[in-house]
Amino acid sequence: MAGGFGTGKTTLVGSVSEIPPLTTEEVLTQASVGVDDMTGIEDKANTTVALDFGRITITPDVVLYLFGTPGQDRFWFIWDELAQGAIGAIVLVDTRRLGTSFPAIDYFERRGIPFVAAVNRFFGECLYTEEEIRSALELDPAVPLVFCDARDRASSKQALIELVRHAMSRLPVAS
Amino acid sequence: MSYDTWEGDDESEAGRLVPLYILVNGRTSPRNTNLDLATQVIARPADTSRLEPEYREIVNRCRNWISIAEIGAYLHRPLTITKVMVDVLLDQGYLGIGSPAQQKIADRRLLETVLAGLERL
Repeated sequence: MAGGFGTGKTTLVGSVSEIPPLTTEEVLTQASVGVDDMTGIEDKANTTVALDFGRITITPDVVLYLFGTPGQDRFWFIWDELAQGAIGAIVLVDTRRLGTSFPAIDYFERRGIPFVAAVNRFFGECLYTEEEIRSALELDPAVPLVFCDARDRASSKQALIELVRHAMSRLPVAS
Repeated sequence: MSYDTWEGDDESEAGRLVPLYILVNGRTSPRNTNLDLATQVIARPADTSRLEPEYREIVNRCRNWISIAEIGAYLHRPLTITKVMVDVLLDQGYLGIGSPAQQKIADRRLLETVLAGLERL
Protein backbone atom coordinates (compact mmCIF):
# COMPACT_ATOMS: atom_id res chain seq x y z
CA MET A 1 0.00 0.00 0.00
CA ALA A 2 1.56 3.23 -1.08
CA GLY A 3 0.35 6.78 -1.07
CA GLY A 4 0.98 9.99 0.77
CA PHE A 5 0.61 10.48 4.49
CA GLY A 6 -2.94 10.04 5.70
CA THR A 7 -4.35 8.41 2.58
CA GLY A 8 -5.53 5.34 4.51
CA LYS A 9 -2.73 2.81 4.08
CA THR A 10 -2.78 1.61 7.67
CA THR A 11 -6.57 1.52 7.65
CA LEU A 12 -6.61 -0.65 4.54
CA VAL A 13 -4.02 -3.05 5.95
CA GLY A 14 -5.98 -3.27 9.20
CA SER A 15 -9.32 -3.94 7.56
CA VAL A 16 -8.17 -7.10 5.75
CA SER A 17 -5.31 -8.37 7.88
CA GLU A 18 -5.91 -11.40 10.11
CA ILE A 19 -3.67 -9.86 12.76
CA PRO A 20 -3.94 -6.31 14.09
CA PRO A 21 -1.63 -4.21 11.93
CA LEU A 22 1.91 -4.32 13.24
CA THR A 23 4.22 -1.38 13.07
CA THR A 24 7.94 -1.51 12.91
CA GLU A 25 10.49 0.95 11.74
CA GLU A 26 13.29 0.96 9.28
CA VAL A 27 16.36 3.02 9.97
CA LEU A 28 17.74 5.08 7.17
CA THR A 29 21.05 3.41 6.59
CA GLN A 30 24.12 4.64 4.87
CA ALA A 31 23.33 2.67 1.77
CA SER A 32 20.30 4.80 1.14
CA VAL A 33 21.94 8.15 1.68
CA GLY A 34 22.95 8.43 -1.94
CA VAL A 35 19.41 8.19 -3.22
CA ASP A 36 17.89 10.27 -0.50
CA ASP A 37 17.22 13.92 -1.04
CA MET A 38 18.33 15.43 2.23
CA THR A 39 17.23 18.96 1.40
CA GLY A 40 15.54 20.46 4.40
CA ILE A 41 15.96 17.37 6.49
CA GLU A 42 19.71 17.45 7.00
CA ASP A 43 19.28 16.98 10.72
CA LYS A 44 18.24 13.39 10.49
CA ALA A 45 21.20 11.15 11.03
CA ASN A 46 18.90 8.52 12.47
CA THR A 47 15.73 8.96 10.48
CA THR A 48 13.30 6.15 10.82
CA VAL A 49 10.27 5.37 8.77
CA ALA A 50 7.23 3.54 10.04
CA LEU A 51 6.25 0.40 8.24
CA ASP A 52 2.82 -1.06 8.90
CA PHE A 53 2.00 -4.53 7.90
CA GLY A 54 -0.51 -7.28 8.19
CA ARG A 55 -0.88 -10.81 6.94
CA ILE A 56 -3.46 -13.04 5.33
CA THR A 57 -2.92 -16.78 5.44
CA ILE A 58 -4.03 -18.06 2.06
CA THR A 59 -3.12 -21.72 2.53
CA PRO A 60 -0.87 -23.40 5.09
CA ASP A 61 1.99 -22.81 2.64
CA VAL A 62 1.13 -19.39 1.30
CA VAL A 63 1.03 -16.23 3.37
CA LEU A 64 0.24 -12.88 1.83
CA TYR A 65 1.90 -9.94 3.53
CA LEU A 66 0.50 -6.46 3.23
CA PHE A 67 2.97 -3.66 3.74
CA GLY A 68 2.09 -0.02 3.98
CA THR A 69 4.67 2.69 4.04
CA PRO A 70 4.84 6.35 3.06
CA GLY A 71 5.28 7.11 -0.59
CA GLN A 72 7.51 10.09 -0.12
CA ASP A 73 10.70 10.40 -2.10
CA ARG A 74 12.90 9.94 0.90
CA PHE A 75 11.34 6.63 1.76
CA TRP A 76 11.83 4.87 -1.55
CA PHE A 77 14.73 2.87 -0.19
CA ILE A 78 12.23 0.81 1.75
CA TRP A 79 10.11 0.28 -1.35
CA ASP A 80 13.13 -0.97 -3.24
CA GLU A 81 13.15 -3.84 -0.80
CA LEU A 82 9.38 -4.31 -0.54
CA ALA A 83 9.00 -4.38 -4.29
CA GLN A 84 11.17 -7.48 -4.54
CA GLY A 85 8.93 -10.47 -4.72
CA ALA A 86 5.84 -8.33 -4.39
CA ILE A 87 2.73 -9.14 -6.38
CA GLY A 88 2.24 -5.44 -6.81
CA ALA A 89 1.08 -2.28 -5.14
CA ILE A 90 -2.10 -0.43 -4.34
CA VAL A 91 -1.59 3.30 -4.62
CA LEU A 92 -4.14 5.01 -2.40
CA VAL A 93 -5.46 8.21 -3.81
CA ASP A 94 -7.04 11.08 -1.91
CA THR A 95 -8.85 13.20 -4.48
CA ARG A 96 -8.33 16.30 -2.37
CA ARG A 97 -4.60 15.84 -2.65
CA LEU A 98 -3.94 14.07 -5.91
CA GLY A 99 -0.38 15.32 -5.93
CA THR A 100 0.57 13.06 -3.05
CA SER A 101 -0.04 10.05 -5.29
CA PHE A 102 2.21 11.10 -8.16
CA PRO A 103 5.54 9.95 -6.71
CA ALA A 104 4.16 6.47 -5.99
CA ILE A 105 2.57 6.09 -9.42
CA ASP A 106 5.77 7.25 -11.04
CA TYR A 107 7.85 4.85 -8.98
CA PHE A 108 5.86 1.73 -9.85
CA GLU A 109 5.45 2.72 -13.49
CA ARG A 110 9.16 3.17 -13.97
CA ARG A 111 9.99 -0.18 -12.44
CA GLY A 112 7.28 -2.04 -14.26
CA ILE A 113 5.68 -3.15 -10.98
CA PRO A 114 1.95 -3.91 -11.35
CA PHE A 115 -0.20 -1.50 -9.42
CA VAL A 116 -3.78 -0.34 -9.16
CA ALA A 117 -4.89 3.12 -8.11
CA ALA A 118 -7.50 3.05 -5.37
CA VAL A 119 -9.52 6.15 -4.62
CA ASN A 120 -10.25 6.06 -0.92
CA ARG A 121 -13.84 7.11 -0.29
CA PHE A 122 -13.11 7.49 3.38
CA PHE A 123 -13.00 11.20 2.83
CA GLY A 124 -16.56 11.45 1.60
CA GLU A 125 -18.28 11.06 -1.69
CA CYS A 126 -15.95 11.40 -4.58
CA LEU A 127 -16.76 14.51 -6.59
CA TYR A 128 -14.96 13.40 -9.70
CA THR A 129 -15.63 10.85 -12.35
CA GLU A 130 -13.28 8.02 -13.09
CA GLU A 131 -12.24 9.74 -16.33
CA GLU A 132 -11.42 12.96 -14.53
CA ILE A 133 -9.28 11.20 -11.96
CA ARG A 134 -7.54 9.08 -14.59
CA SER A 135 -6.67 12.09 -16.60
CA ALA A 136 -5.52 14.10 -13.57
CA LEU A 137 -3.26 11.22 -12.53
CA GLU A 138 -2.17 10.58 -16.12
CA LEU A 139 -2.89 6.92 -15.53
CA ASP A 140 -2.02 4.44 -18.22
CA PRO A 141 -5.32 3.04 -19.59
CA ALA A 142 -4.14 -0.45 -18.63
CA VAL A 143 -3.88 0.47 -14.95
CA PRO A 144 -7.09 -0.33 -13.05
CA LEU A 145 -8.67 2.45 -11.04
CA VAL A 146 -10.89 1.30 -8.20
CA PHE A 147 -13.00 3.13 -5.67
CA CYS A 148 -12.80 1.76 -2.16
CA ASP A 149 -13.44 2.48 1.46
CA ALA A 150 -10.30 1.43 3.26
CA ARG A 151 -12.26 0.95 6.49
CA ASP A 152 -14.45 -1.66 4.90
CA ARG A 153 -13.10 -5.18 4.74
CA ALA A 154 -15.06 -6.25 1.66
CA SER A 155 -14.04 -3.11 -0.16
CA SER A 156 -10.34 -3.45 0.71
CA LYS A 157 -10.47 -7.11 -0.25
CA GLN A 158 -11.88 -6.13 -3.63
CA ALA A 159 -8.98 -3.74 -4.19
CA LEU A 160 -6.55 -6.58 -3.44
CA ILE A 161 -8.41 -8.88 -5.83
CA GLU A 162 -8.19 -6.24 -8.58
CA LEU A 163 -4.47 -6.00 -7.98
CA VAL A 164 -3.89 -9.76 -8.21
CA ARG A 165 -6.00 -9.96 -11.37
CA HIS A 166 -4.08 -7.09 -12.86
CA ALA A 167 -0.75 -8.76 -11.98
CA MET A 168 -1.98 -11.97 -13.64
CA SER A 169 -3.04 -10.13 -16.77
CA ARG A 170 0.51 -8.95 -17.21
CA LEU A 171 2.05 -12.39 -17.10
CA PRO A 172 3.19 -13.80 -20.39
CA VAL A 173 0.50 -16.04 -21.84
CA ALA A 174 1.20 -19.66 -20.99
CA SER A 175 2.40 -21.54 -24.02
CA MET B 1 30.94 17.18 45.52
CA SER B 2 27.93 16.37 43.51
CA TYR B 3 27.16 13.48 41.32
CA ASP B 4 26.25 14.07 37.76
CA THR B 5 22.82 12.82 37.09
CA TRP B 6 21.72 11.81 33.67
CA GLU B 7 18.06 11.98 33.04
CA GLY B 8 18.35 11.52 29.36
CA ASP B 9 16.62 8.95 27.36
CA ASP B 10 19.33 6.56 26.36
CA GLU B 11 17.29 3.59 27.46
CA SER B 12 14.19 4.29 25.57
CA GLU B 13 13.68 0.57 25.27
CA ALA B 14 13.22 0.05 28.99
CA GLY B 15 16.28 -1.42 30.59
CA ARG B 16 18.51 -1.24 27.55
CA LEU B 17 22.12 -0.91 28.69
CA VAL B 18 23.82 -1.85 25.47
CA PRO B 19 23.17 0.12 22.31
CA LEU B 20 21.73 -2.00 19.55
CA TYR B 21 24.68 -1.49 17.23
CA ILE B 22 26.93 -3.24 19.75
CA LEU B 23 24.77 -6.33 19.45
CA VAL B 24 25.49 -6.57 15.79
CA ASN B 25 29.13 -5.49 15.97
CA GLY B 26 28.34 -2.33 14.09
CA ARG B 27 27.21 -4.22 11.03
CA THR B 28 24.59 -2.48 9.00
CA SER B 29 23.70 -5.15 6.51
CA PRO B 30 23.30 -8.91 6.61
CA ARG B 31 25.86 -11.10 4.84
CA ASN B 32 23.05 -13.01 3.27
CA THR B 33 21.72 -10.38 0.92
CA ASN B 34 18.69 -12.49 0.06
CA LEU B 35 17.10 -11.71 3.39
CA ASP B 36 14.16 -9.40 3.11
CA LEU B 37 11.27 -8.31 5.26
CA ALA B 38 9.08 -11.21 4.25
CA THR B 39 11.75 -13.91 4.60
CA GLN B 40 10.39 -16.68 6.79
CA VAL B 41 12.52 -18.22 9.52
CA ILE B 42 11.98 -20.88 12.17
CA ALA B 43 13.89 -21.93 15.30
CA ARG B 44 15.93 -25.09 15.03
CA PRO B 45 16.35 -27.31 18.06
CA ALA B 46 19.41 -25.91 19.82
CA ASP B 47 20.62 -24.92 23.25
CA THR B 48 20.17 -21.16 23.39
CA SER B 49 21.53 -20.68 26.91
CA ARG B 50 24.76 -19.16 25.63
CA LEU B 51 23.06 -16.59 23.46
CA GLU B 52 22.74 -12.96 24.43
CA PRO B 53 19.22 -12.30 25.74
CA GLU B 54 18.36 -10.17 22.70
CA TYR B 55 19.23 -13.05 20.40
CA ARG B 56 17.46 -15.60 22.57
CA GLU B 57 14.35 -13.44 22.39
CA ILE B 58 14.39 -13.75 18.63
CA VAL B 59 14.84 -17.52 18.69
CA ASN B 60 11.94 -17.78 21.18
CA ARG B 61 9.75 -15.84 18.78
CA CYS B 62 10.46 -18.30 16.00
CA ARG B 63 8.71 -21.43 17.27
CA ASN B 64 6.56 -21.22 14.15
CA TRP B 65 7.44 -19.78 10.78
CA ILE B 66 7.60 -16.02 11.08
CA SER B 67 8.74 -13.18 8.87
CA ILE B 68 11.62 -10.88 9.71
CA ALA B 69 9.19 -7.95 9.64
CA GLU B 70 7.04 -9.59 12.31
CA ILE B 71 10.03 -10.31 14.55
CA GLY B 72 11.01 -6.64 14.34
CA ALA B 73 7.50 -5.50 15.16
CA TYR B 74 6.99 -7.84 18.10
CA LEU B 75 10.37 -7.09 19.64
CA HIS B 76 10.30 -3.37 18.81
CA ARG B 77 13.58 -3.47 16.95
CA PRO B 78 14.38 -1.53 13.81
CA LEU B 79 14.26 -3.78 10.78
CA THR B 80 17.86 -3.18 9.81
CA ILE B 81 19.01 -4.49 13.18
CA THR B 82 16.54 -7.37 13.14
CA LYS B 83 17.75 -8.45 9.75
CA VAL B 84 21.39 -8.51 10.82
CA MET B 85 20.56 -10.37 14.04
CA VAL B 86 18.51 -12.96 12.16
CA ASP B 87 21.40 -13.34 9.75
CA VAL B 88 23.77 -14.06 12.65
CA LEU B 89 21.36 -16.65 14.05
CA LEU B 90 20.97 -18.31 10.65
CA ASP B 91 24.72 -18.39 10.30
CA GLN B 92 25.10 -20.05 13.69
CA GLY B 93 22.39 -22.60 12.99
CA TYR B 94 19.86 -21.40 15.56
CA LEU B 95 17.37 -20.53 12.86
CA GLY B 96 16.35 -22.17 9.63
CA ILE B 97 15.22 -20.24 6.60
CA GLY B 98 12.26 -20.78 4.29
CA SER B 99 12.47 -20.71 0.56
CA PRO B 100 14.08 -17.47 -0.58
CA ALA B 101 11.81 -14.70 -1.74
CA GLN B 102 11.37 -14.52 -5.47
CA GLN B 103 12.71 -11.52 -7.26
CA LYS B 104 9.59 -11.33 -9.32
CA ILE B 105 6.36 -13.21 -9.04
CA ALA B 106 5.73 -14.71 -12.42
CA ASP B 107 4.03 -17.84 -11.24
CA ARG B 108 0.48 -17.98 -12.51
CA ARG B 109 -0.47 -20.85 -10.23
CA LEU B 110 0.73 -19.00 -7.15
CA LEU B 111 -1.24 -15.93 -8.15
CA GLU B 112 -4.31 -18.08 -8.77
CA THR B 113 -3.92 -19.54 -5.28
CA VAL B 114 -3.69 -16.03 -3.80
CA LEU B 115 -6.69 -14.86 -5.80
CA ALA B 116 -8.81 -17.82 -4.68
CA GLY B 117 -7.71 -17.23 -1.09
CA LEU B 118 -8.70 -13.57 -1.23
CA GLU B 119 -12.06 -14.40 -2.73
CA ARG B 120 -12.73 -16.78 0.15
CA LEU B 121 -12.09 -14.09 2.76
